[in-house]
Amino acid sequence: MPELTAFTYRPGTSLLHCMDVRAKLVLVVLVGLASLNMHPVSLLVLTGILGWLFRASKRSVVSLLKTLRYYGVLLGFVVLARGVNLSLEPPWGWHAVTVDPHGLREGALVCWRLGIVVLAGALFVSTTRSSQMKAAVQWVLAPVPLVPEKRLSFMIALTLRSFPLIFLQARETAAAQRARGIENRKNPLYRMKTLAVPLLRRTLQDAEKLAVAMEARCYQEDRTDPVLSATRADWRALAAGVGGCVVLLLV
Amino acid sequence: MSTMPIIEIRDLSHRFSDGRMGLCRINLEIQQGGFILIAGANGSGKTTLLRHLNGLLLPTSGTVTVAGIPVGKDPLKVRQMVGMVFQDADSQIVGETVYEDAAFGPENLKLDPREVRRRTEDALSAVGLTPLSEQHPFLLSAGEKRRLAIAGILSMGPRVIVFDEPLSNLDFPGTRQVLGQMVSLHRSGHTLLVATHDLEPLMAYADRLILMKAGKVARDGHPAALVSDLEAFGVRPPGSIRFGVESRPCRN
Repeated sequence: MPELTAFTYRPGTSLLHCMDVRAKLVLVVLVGLASLNMHPVSLLVLTGILGWLFRASKRSVVSLLKTLRYYGVLLGFVVLARGVNLSLEPPWGWHAVTVDPHGLREGALVCWRLGIVVLAGALFVSTTRSSQMKAAVQWVLAPVPLVPEKRLSFMIALTLRSFPLIFLQARETAAAQRARGIENRKNPLYRMKTLAVPLLRRTLQDAEKLAVAMEARCYQEDRTDPVLSATRADWRALAAGVGGCVVLLLV
Repeated sequence: MSTMPIIEIRDLSHRFSDGRMGLCRINLEIQQGGFILIAGANGSGKTTLLRHLNGLLLPTSGTVTVAGIPVGKDPLKVRQMVGMVFQDADSQIVGETVYEDAAFGPENLKLDPREVRRRTEDALSAVGLTPLSEQHPFLLSAGEKRRLAIAGILSMGPRVIVFDEPLSNLDFPGTRQVLGQMVSLHRSGHTLLVATHDLEPLMAYADRLILMKAGKVARDGHPAALVSDLEAFGVRPPGSIRFGVESRPCRN
């Protein structure tokens, strides 16, 4: 059975679950942009607010950290790239590695900002039905000329739907290869290739099956769209979010 | 039960793009309200035949008509009338909740949102999945996923439902759930066509058995009359026949 990640929609009745998807989308973009220019104190407050929303939406922090463990490695590289200098002059040795505290601080700040963007994204995705997300993307893209907004929004919804299945297949393929002693092969490129090729093949086969099943259910681009409606509470939440971001930017 | 044929297949042949012959001069009439089993060894053409019934494949030669409409002429109309439940339930799930998935078909028909809701709720209620409508489909059991696939078809209001190996990979409770659903659909007037390897649980409810071999219809008759031929066509005879014991219905 596929394991649902922190980026999978889970039903609920929290504030974010009930909020109009367009207001949520605007707030996610706003939080992402604002966090790039915030003072660390404001970042701390913003992290606290997002953390509270995360808990209020009954999302699991452990699941989020588990999902993002590889992303964490990437962020670690960002910190290292910013904070560690290598001298290219011989003789090489440990003395050639110098740590720049200012660079480390800057690197950590960049990671913090990226972490906030990811947290806001996880909150959005895990509290929004794919049909609502599709409708929101369609709403955003509708005024853009020459963009097939219905097709694009449906493709995004299908991509999100595919994640749990692809993760499950990756785990199954990896387990089957471990059972046949792949761990004895030390070459990471070989191991990567032997995992990627069958996984890609299976994913493409499943995509083909899905396309046939969709065709059998009369799929066409011109479909009944979900009805979007903003209530007074959505406007209040949007105003509070915008106001909060402005205040945090001014700190 | 009406005896008007709802599906008529005339001289249907299908050749795959790689040159292999999938079906060879098939002639069949499917009566409305029938419960028909299609059996045969792997590669005998069962799935290829089923896919012609709603225009997923088009004939190389010959014709398939559903309620008088040639399949190739109006595939969308035909697909509303002939719903298909595929073997791999996971790969036909589109929605992120059970409700969304069941609503996919009616939304494609561009129905009014209220009509979409009514049909979806009715379909979920018919398969007993209403309490799980907000659940993620991938968290359902195999039997529940198969029932969701049926709900996704029912919400489109089909007259014929085509099942491709509906009981494969199901445990006993799952088999009972899906079989119960199929029998109830048949009783409510739907025409069922079922491609299967496993005749045991279905034999008691079917009124016709079609045996296929190498893309051709090799035998066609009442299931009881064809049991002695099953092994010759690569189909395992039901245990009740092999061991001479009375079979117990599998469903609740």
